[in-house]
Amino acid sequence: MRSLLLALVLAAAEPSGFWTGPVNDPVPATIHGGKVIHTEELAALLKTTHAVVVDVSDSPHRPENLPATTTWLPVPHPGIPGAIWIPGGGLGAPPANVEQFYRQRLATATGNDFTRTLVVYCHKTCWLSWNGAKRAIKYGYRNVYWFPDGIEGWRKAKLPTEVLQPEG
Amino acid sequence: MGLNNPRVWVGVLLLAALQPAFADDEDAQERGARWKQLQESIFPKREVLDSGGIITVDAPPRALDAALVPVELHMSSPVKGIYLIIDDNPAPMAAHFVFGPKADPHDLKLRVRVNAYTNIHAVAETQDGKLHAATKFVKAAGGCSAPAGSDDAAAMADMGRMKLRLLGDFNAGKPMQAQLMIRHPNFNGMQMNQITRMYTPARFIRTIDATYNGGQVFHLDADISLATDPVITFGFVPHEKGQMTVVAQDSSDAKFDHSFDVPGTPAG
Repeated sequence: MRSLLLALVLAAAEPSGFWTGPVNDPVPATIHGGKVIHTEELAALLKTTHAVVVDVSDSPHRPENLPATTTWLPVPHPGIPGAIWIPGGGLGAPPANVEQFYRQRLATATGNDFTRTLVVYCHKTCWLSWNGAKRAIKYGYRNVYWFPDGIEGWRKAKLPTEVLQPEG
Repeated sequence: MGLNNPRVWVGVLLLAALQPAFADDEDAQERGARWKQLQESIFPKREVLDSGGIITVDAPPRALDAALVPVELHMSSPVKGIYLIIDDNPAPMAAHFVFGPKADPHDLKLRVRVNAYTNIHAVAETQDGKLHAATKFVKAAGGCSAPAGSDDAAAMADMGRMKLRLLGDFNAGKPMQAQLMIRHPNFNGMQMNQITRMYTPARFIRTIDATYNGGQVFHLDADISLATDPVITFGFVPHEKGQMTVVAQDSSDAKFDHSFDVPGTPAG
């Protein structure tokens, strides 16, 4: 009960546009135009629905001018099986090319079907997924779920993961 | 020490209290797999043994600033070299020291960037070519993309300035500690300029050579995980008064060098 009260106090209000503040600040409990989904319901939903799952977590930026002597070996990125990983899709103000890639990738993944179920997630207490879901709603998708528990919530429930590769 | 020793029990209880933090088997498995992957990549076909008391690594368990995490290494025997590896950084190899005849290779301190909660491995290479690894888990995150500062240009202007602080008194033939500070932004290429929203290109110190009166103290191969303005504390053995010469080269092939008097002019 106490933690619930605390969560309510800590939950942020929904901004009118995209969130451009610190990515790991407390997130809202709602998303206008979409639905909030938690771990158990999501696991059930993915069993019954052919949903498009999108991970908008950050990916380490590989410097263009890294010398050949540097061993670039990012940690494998576990995600929800079948998810597409589009880093940058949840930025508050993404560069134009990143935003365009996000829009097009959603279009191909859904087959331009705006009624397809979309699930957007990243980490726990992370605005990227809220922004990513908000952006999808703005594009016109009508069945957008925001999964605020993130990969941490998914793994805590001992649900399976698979290593994802970043796109875009 | 037996179980009737109260200190042992305090230890047992403390361990029990700490258990939940480490109980995540999946997490431990993943860290193990990552270390295996790194070993295969960095030390192909070589066996990495336990620390065997040869090396210990220390760092604050919860770092105040992930872009400036102090790491201390202690070696119990005169090792040939040290590899410092930050497992979960995208470029995990932070530093490789090779000690020369003028070194006192027992203590080293430096500051690194930490991208995510990670193990830090310090691997000592002994004179007979064996590898011994010590490890420390550090809770810090975001150190690789943390903006370097408000002004890239100002950081560049001062680049290459050096200071050497001698810690302790000069005694001919006795080991002495020195702290080397080099002004260098050490851009890792993962930091976004807050105004232009562009990534600042990587530019970082790749090698440092310290020699004392012409004899090698250490050679360091460094990489993007070393923090801004590298600070390295190391030991050397001056048999006579003389000069410590430091030559650093960065990834844009800029060369910086400076010589310092040892014991140096007393202050005041």
